Amino acid sequence: MAASLVGSNPKILSLNSVASATGLRTATVLQAQDIWRDFGGVIAVAGATINVPRGRITGLIGPNGAGKSTLVNIISGAIKPRSGVITFEGVDITAEAAHRIAHRGLVRTFQLSSEFGRLTVLENLLVAAPHQVGESLIGAVLGKRYWQNQEAALVHQARELLIRFGMSAKEEEYAENLSGGQRRLVEIMRALMAKPKLLLLDEPLAGVNPSLGQEILGYLEALRDDGLTMLMIEHDLAAVERVCNPVIVMAQGKVLAQGTLNDLRNQQEVLDAYFIG
Amino acid sequence: MSSAFQFYVTTLLIYAGVDILAAWGLNLQFGTAGLLSFAFIVFQAAGAYTAGVLALGPQTDNGGYQHYIGGYALPFPIPILAAMAVGAVIAVPIGLIALRRLRSDYQAVALLVVSIIASSIATNETELFNGAAGISLVPHPLADQFGGDLLTYQWFYVGFTAAVCLVAYLIVHRVTHSPLGRAFRAMRDNEQAASALAKDITGLRLLAFAIGGALGALSGAILVLFIGTWAPSAWLYPETFVLLAAIIVGGTNNSLGTVVGVLLVPIGFAEGSRFLPEIGHPGLIDAGQWIAIGLMLLIFLWFRPQGILPERKHRYANDGRLVTVLDELAGWLRRSLALIQRSSR
Amino acid sequence: MPYLLGPSIGFGLVTASILALAAVGFTMQFGVTNILNLAYGEVMATSGFVALIVNRAGLSIWFGMAAAAVFGAALSYLLNRVIFIPFARRGTKLFGMVIVTIAVGLILENSILAITGPNFFSYIVPQESTYSVGFLILTTSQIVLMGLATLAMIAVHSLLRLTRLGMAMRATASDASLARGCGIRTERIVDAGWLISGAMCGIAGVALFINTTSFTSATANSFLVVIVAAAILGGVGQPYGAMLGALVIGLTSEIAAAFLNPAYKNVVAFVILVVVLLLRPQGILAQIAVQREIAR
Repeated sequence: MAASLVGSNPKILSLNSVASATGLRTATVLQAQDIWRDFGGVIAVAGATINVPRGRITGLIGPNGAGKSTLVNIISGAIKPRSGVITFEGVDITAEAAHRIAHRGLVRTFQLSSEFGRLTVLENLLVAAPHQVGESLIGAVLGKRYWQNQEAALVHQARELLIRFGMSAKEEEYAENLSGGQRRLVEIMRALMAKPKLLLLDEPLAGVNPSLGQEILGYLEALRDDGLTMLMIEHDLAAVERVCNPVIVMAQGKVLAQGTLNDLRNQQEVLDAYFIG
Repeated sequence: MSSAFQFYVTTLLIYAGVDILAAWGLNLQFGTAGLLSFAFIVFQAAGAYTAGVLALGPQTDNGGYQHYIGGYALPFPIPILAAMAVGAVIAVPIGLIALRRLRSDYQAVALLVVSIIASSIATNETELFNGAAGISLVPHPLADQFGGDLLTYQWFYVGFTAAVCLVAYLIVHRVTHSPLGRAFRAMRDNEQAASALAKDITGLRLLAFAIGGALGALSGAILVLFIGTWAPSAWLYPETFVLLAAIIVGGTNNSLGTVVGVLLVPIGFAEGSRFLPEIGHPGLIDAGQWIAIGLMLLIFLWFRPQGILPERKHRYANDGRLVTVLDELAGWLRRSLALIQRSSR
Repeated sequence: MPYLLGPSIGFGLVTASILALAAVGFTMQFGVTNILNLAYGEVMATSGFVALIVNRAGLSIWFGMAAAAVFGAALSYLLNRVIFIPFARRGTKLFGMVIVTIAVGLILENSILAITGPNFFSYIVPQESTYSVGFLILTTSQIVLMGLATLAMIAVHSLLRLTRLGMAMRATASDASLARGCGIRTERIVDAGWLISGAMCGIAGVALFINTTSFTSATANSFLVVIVAAAILGGVGQPYGAMLGALVIGLTSEIAAAFLNPAYKNVVAFVILVVVLLLRPQGILAQIAVQREIAR
């Protein structure tokens, strides 16, 4: 792992130094250490260790079956590792349930679209917002007056996202009636409504036409520049090259290397496992 | 109206109210939260039994010919409230089975099994539940206030049932149109995604089972206090299919649609066939009813799976308020008025 | 003790045989077609009544059983082609499909009821003799049923393990789209699945009715829950699991009937099921099966 963890982007450097000065924010948001997981005897993740640095888009690449999706599923709590430790913002979240982890601000998207089909686009966004007072039984029974103000603020917030992502016209459309690319956008917007500290993106460009793909990358860059940390699985290396730094390469359940894509291109083992195939 | 006819109408209205309450409970579990709750009859039966034995006097009454838990002769409305509490509490064991990571159709079958176990236990535990005979002579609530005037009492009970339905409607409406209802629907549409958005699926499922269960128990309590008897054989799982058919016909996750469905399926069918002449062997009309319910389910699932009144789309006004039916009606009126004005000019 | 245990083990083995016939058919149907067919009990019943007609016409009940097998296969095939596949094409999901099968079951069961009325029926079975085998005492028809179930299990095993059709069925069951990609004509396999499981369903219906001596239009339906319990106990969609599940449930329910309250016969079986659901929702055999599939 020759490539450095500390990037060359001055903006990030300054962000990190501010963080260390206040003592609240460490350079690493998420750390997954020595993760193992098998399925009925087949080892999917074999002692993978990754660190996700703050304020960047970390790429996670590797051939099919490398264990990337399993690793993301483990980090997000959808499945449990056999062994290993995951720390998020300094807290051990290894044993926590998926919804508890999401509650901490670690939010994910899915490889296959996972919109709520019979909710409108706007509702898909609203449902993701954390800490809704009307989401408890008492809150619901107390009625509109009790949760209306918060709800109106959330609607406003969601509509701003819709404008930003150019989806205002689809506000009242049922999500099941959207195109594949629009569903991707809904999923990203929905994740943003959840106020993530770390966003896990599982192939956000899969099944999206190239021009919308470029658009999505633009949104992701803008989000990064606003300070959002992301970990992104992606097969399209051009996309990875454009937005991801650092890039982590996995193969056969292990982390092979980490660095910028250019550094990785020069490493023989990475070439063997991935670029040649 | 002749008094015989009045008795008939009042009884029918009360049965309709009971079925509507139960169907709302099941609709909350099935239509809103996506839980195929084949054990729903257990909530109803448990609520009915609870209300019955709490309203009854001690076991030694009437020569001590029946055995049951309770017998506290509690005053109205405590038996009904207790029934609702029991309905909500048994949601926990029932929910625990449904919580396992089973495919949704296997979950449904597991719940079917639960309802059959419950019914066998109730039939066989004579010491606790008086066996197949069940309980009878449950006193009518507040009947002493009416002296011996049975007809007035019938009308009073209609009014009482209607009032309960109104309150239940308001609560169901508040739940389904709140952020909680939205979370239920999100869970229904995609459980994995909902849990990745910090929704506690276990909690939401249990809550849906509990609210729906309380409503189911309420419906059972109102019925048992009216008819005065409870026997396990009257609370079997096929009754849940009737409610399910009512919901699918009327409109899944639409409270008013559920009312339409109840008026058509259990009330319309049961009463419609009452006027048929006795033809063939004794089971024939019954069999015909079930065949008709089966055909109706297939026809609706094929031609109109959303039901007569489909789920309403939740729209938001510019100020972020949820658009209600009244808003839509007002908007429609305004538009039509404008049209009339324009054409008259 | 033994004077109770002997007969109850005998009854248990007979129940287990009928249950195995029914549960293997049910689980195969589910495994290959992915449809949880709650009309299965009613298909059993309809086939059983077809056998009754043949039997009443003066033919042996074993001819009736053959006719029921053909009828069960044909009815299952038709139900799938005429109702289930069109609904699936229309986008009816898991949930909706369960309700569709329930509706079909209601229609079937009550059509029989409408024709036969709420009466009890029995087959004309030739004079029974009893045999004592070790500590078991069994009648002719019980021995034939057990033999029949054993033969059927061997046939299913050979079908799944030794024939091309069986291999294609297993491939379709584990991943239909992959199987299609490998050139397997999954539609035909699914048809074959309905035919074979339907035939087993028909045989099981007659076996159940022979064993209960007198039956109504609702007898098979109340047995369905036990069938489903055996299938779930063994692990969803796994014929070997269903055999094991049938054995466990058949034996425990009869032994429980002998030593506890007979009315709790099925409750004991269901309690086992609920415990399995809570502790091991994938069924008792699932893990073994997964490992075997991957080891190959």
